[in-house]
Amino acid sequence: MSVTYLEAIREAQAKALRDDPRVFIYGQDVGAFGGAFKATRNLAKEFPGRVMDAPISEDAMVGAAIGAAIEGMRPIIEMQYADFSTVGFNQIVNNAGAFFWRTGVPCPITIRLPAGGTSGSGPYHSQSLEAIYAHYPGLVVMTPATVEDAYSMLLEAVTIDDPVIFCEHKLLYNHLKAEKLPTEAMPTGKARVARAGRDMTLVTYSAMVQEALVVAEELSGEGSEIEVVDLRSVKPLDTDTVMASVARTGRLLVVGEAWPWGGVTAEVVARVASEGFGLLDAPPQRLNAKDTPIPYHPNLWAAHRPTPQSIGQAARNLLRL
Amino acid sequence: MPQLGESIAEATVVRLLVKIGDEIRTDQDVLEVETNKATLSVSSPCPGHVTKLLVKENETYPVGAILGYLEATAENIKRFGLDEPAAGDAADEVAPESNGQASTEGQKREVHPTIRGLPVPANATGASYMTPRMKARMAELGLHAADLAGVAGSGAAGRVTIQDFEKFLTNIERSKSSKASTMRVAVADAMRRSWTRPLATVALPVCLDATLAHRKTCNPRPGPALYALRALAVALSENSAPAGRLVGNKIVHPTSIDVGFAVEAEDGVLVPVIRNADKQPLLEMTERYNELVELARQRRLPLDATGGSIATVTNFGTFGLTWATPIPLPEQTLVLGMGAGRQVPSWDAKKGQFVPVMEANLTLSFDHRVLDGGAAGRLLARIAALLAAPQDL
Amino acid sequence: MVQAVVDREAADEASRSRDAFAKAYRGMLLARILDDKFASLYRAGKISGGAFLGRGQEALSVSVGLNLRKGDYFAPLIRDAAGRLAFGETIMDAVRTYLGSALGPMRGRDGNVHRGNPKKGYLPMVSHLGAMISVVNGALMAHRFKGITGTVGAASIGDGGTSTGAFHESLNQAAVEKLPLVLVVSDNQYAYSTPTDRQFACANLLDKAVGYGVAGHAVDGNDLAACLRVVGGAVQKARAGEGPQLIIARLLRLCGHGEHDDANYVDAKMKTAPFGRDCLKLAEESLLRQGWADQAALDEWREQSTQQVEVAVATVRREAAPDPYQEKWRALSSENLLEGQNEA
Repeated sequence: MSVTYLEAIREAQAKALRDDPRVFIYGQDVGAFGGAFKATRNLAKEFPGRVMDAPISEDAMVGAAIGAAIEGMRPIIEMQYADFSTVGFNQIVNNAGAFFWRTGVPCPITIRLPAGGTSGSGPYHSQSLEAIYAHYPGLVVMTPATVEDAYSMLLEAVTIDDPVIFCEHKLLYNHLKAEKLPTEAMPTGKARVARAGRDMTLVTYSAMVQEALVVAEELSGEGSEIEVVDLRSVKPLDTDTVMASVARTGRLLVVGEAWPWGGVTAEVVARVASEGFGLLDAPPQRLNAKDTPIPYHPNLWAAHRPTPQSIGQAARNLLRL
Repeated sequence: MPQLGESIAEATVVRLLVKIGDEIRTDQDVLEVETNKATLSVSSPCPGHVTKLLVKENETYPVGAILGYLEATAENIKRFGLDEPAAGDAADEVAPESNGQASTEGQKREVHPTIRGLPVPANATGASYMTPRMKARMAELGLHAADLAGVAGSGAAGRVTIQDFEKFLTNIERSKSSKASTMRVAVADAMRRSWTRPLATVALPVCLDATLAHRKTCNPRPGPALYALRALAVALSENSAPAGRLVGNKIVHPTSIDVGFAVEAEDGVLVPVIRNADKQPLLEMTERYNELVELARQRRLPLDATGGSIATVTNFGTFGLTWATPIPLPEQTLVLGMGAGRQVPSWDAKKGQFVPVMEANLTLSFDHRVLDGGAAGRLLARIAALLAAPQDL
Repeated sequence: MVQAVVDREAADEASRSRDAFAKAYRGMLLARILDDKFASLYRAGKISGGAFLGRGQEALSVSVGLNLRKGDYFAPLIRDAAGRLAFGETIMDAVRTYLGSALGPMRGRDGNVHRGNPKKGYLPMVSHLGAMISVVNGALMAHRFKGITGTVGAASIGDGGTSTGAFHESLNQAAVEKLPLVLVVSDNQYAYSTPTDRQFACANLLDKAVGYGVAGHAVDGNDLAACLRVVGGAVQKARAGEGPQLIIARLLRLCGHGEHDDANYVDAKMKTAPFGRDCLKLAEESLLRQGWADQAALDEWREQSTQQVEVAVATVRREAAPDPYQEKWRALSSENLLEGQNEA
């Protein structure tokens, strides 16, 4: 028996709907159709009236979620693609994100963003927006990289009293499998050492964790042991785990699929440079996608983002310093 | 002047609606002002009568400027809540002068960069590159770059990485080691600091016959080093430049000719000092010299007997050495060395044959930034000449 | 007998009308006096930031507030001083927010009209117009999920706000979900300085009702009796499950967009047109004309409201401002998920 990342997300939603009558799901095509990626398949049937099709109105979807949450519900909004969440950006960052700070009343909504690139998806079906949401105060931003985390972190997201932006990676949906769903989990806010190492710390999140593990295997064959840290959530960002890892290795490479300017990679480097300067035995490095919109053609797409080849090269360069 | 709009910094008074002495009501408009967005009026916070008007029509005033004064009864002040500082009150206490006028004047200062030409990106390779981690670890252990001299770097262009360093430390842990004495550590620090300068050494063989003959006639007997010390002092009193210190682009001249001499003590060296060695004849220094030697050997030198010397004399000849390149103290430019005397043949032109003479090398090790070989040679020549007439010392 | 019963019923009806009208008038009066106080405090430099009044819209606004009940949901907007007070907001909350008292509902974290009390059913607006309408929708959806029936949600918006995407999405959403939303559009002719011919091209905003598939109601925004009746009727229909109700009220904004704006761009002709008259004065004339109050009563009501406002202002002026060193600088309610970035 095995379960995919997508199935884990569906199972988590089913469990949330089952266990808590306050939960409902709202998004385009999530009802009878089961969602563009089938993340809600059969849920409308199993939980009638609680898995609702929304019009193409990301602003109103999020606004309604806020209203429902204040009145005691636990809404899950499915954005069809992370890229479309920008239509509801104002409601997410200025209304939901600011609500608790302004009023003292918590706003427990969960917004699921199918994020990240797959070959041929193009500029508007590929984006990774975690840094932009993390920048605004008042939001929790999750970026699960494993089947287990996709399951347990989504379950936790629904119980958190604050707005949670849940960035699920589309490439992992059907490619990543695990034997079974977990029964316990690390709490959100703690990063995970995905692979212990010695010579270098590679910090990353979401789909890039899988790429990083491939690179670490390869470099192990060359005599270097890379420690891979999976952030799990970008906000809160577990600076302690990252710092402890750099204390062990002295070298830092941060990899992200998003764009370079002010991204998650910049945030990690900034923290280590200012709080852990004396831990660094080499300048900290980061690797991001190119500073252009995400290309459509598979050749261009593959060159636009970090790959095992480019990550490996960056790692070797850093090891040689 | 109230804040009449988000980015408004000032407003122009267009019309005064009241005059001094007028009785006014709460919320009565007192004057009209114009911002770049609108013409608005400013009103009174409570009833009272106008005692002062500080503004003129057609003049512009900054936000926060006091426009005038109202006299109100204590009862009204209390009733309208004007007696305590209000929750959101910003404008009341600011006087016109403090609103930017002084600060916009003031000289324009020219700022010149003192740092130029940093390499971008900064170079993080090479044997001399110290990472923050290396620096932090070395600081933790109290080490200096000199301590790493023997560590091979496996990093880019020979950089010593933290792994290289930790390996080095582990190896040291494995070898037999003994704790360095405080003396040893102090000498190590002084030598390391001195070595940061470019040092050079010159030597001159000197005939010691006259000095040794003179010495036999004295009681108590002055040590050979004392003859050298006195000769150095006399020579420096004639020309103190060679003992000056270079600080930046200045040569700092000595104020008094205080000369130290090296005494071996335990596993280090102490340097007691004869003050004003140019002002006392040799024979009057002898007792003091011998006393200092004894105190130094017993490590009982008083504080005022060390430090502040402008040059040092070291008699490495006592170890049988004929040649050495001592390192001056970090705060000194010169160290005069004396080697062991040996009987050597010397050509006597008058007699036309080789005759035996007692000869020793006089060395001068010096900070080459302050003097060159010529000046060093001349100093040694003068000392040699003085040693040839010891009765005058 | 029957006639006496009919007469008595008619008399009761008349006195209910009189009482309702008088109560509504007093609500308008209080709002006007409060707004005037904010205006003068602003001009005296006692208010940080802006002051935004609802002068000219009191009749419409008070009608909304009075027709809602406990359990309903309300998203007031910029010019709803009357509606807020009628719905249950206190004068102290309004004054505290404007004067920046640490004891206000927003505790200094937001100011002026950006205030509300979600637990009491009225929302603090965000500045992006139209955004709060879908929040009301969501609250109504929650009621539906919880099996709470008979509640209504009201949201205010202006002629300018009808141009926003958020307005469109929200009204459409309410229509698709058949929610008991009462969307009150105060067409006050200007959005800041922009007249309506630069805001929309349809002949009448009421035409949008057909476009969205909802019921539409037009009302003279200056006529208190008409506002009470039309708003009341719309709220009743919504409560009865007839879906969203769109109300378009015609009136004129009788103040600047904010008190920093002297509104010199308002067409002078509008000021003298019928819809440019002051609804408060019209209501007073109506009271006097119908014998529902005499001048002495009007003066007394005015004096009482003035007193209430002055006491509130004097009290609040003695209260402390927020202390940045006592402030809890946290934007998440989940303390375990906070990062340490706000520590000094």
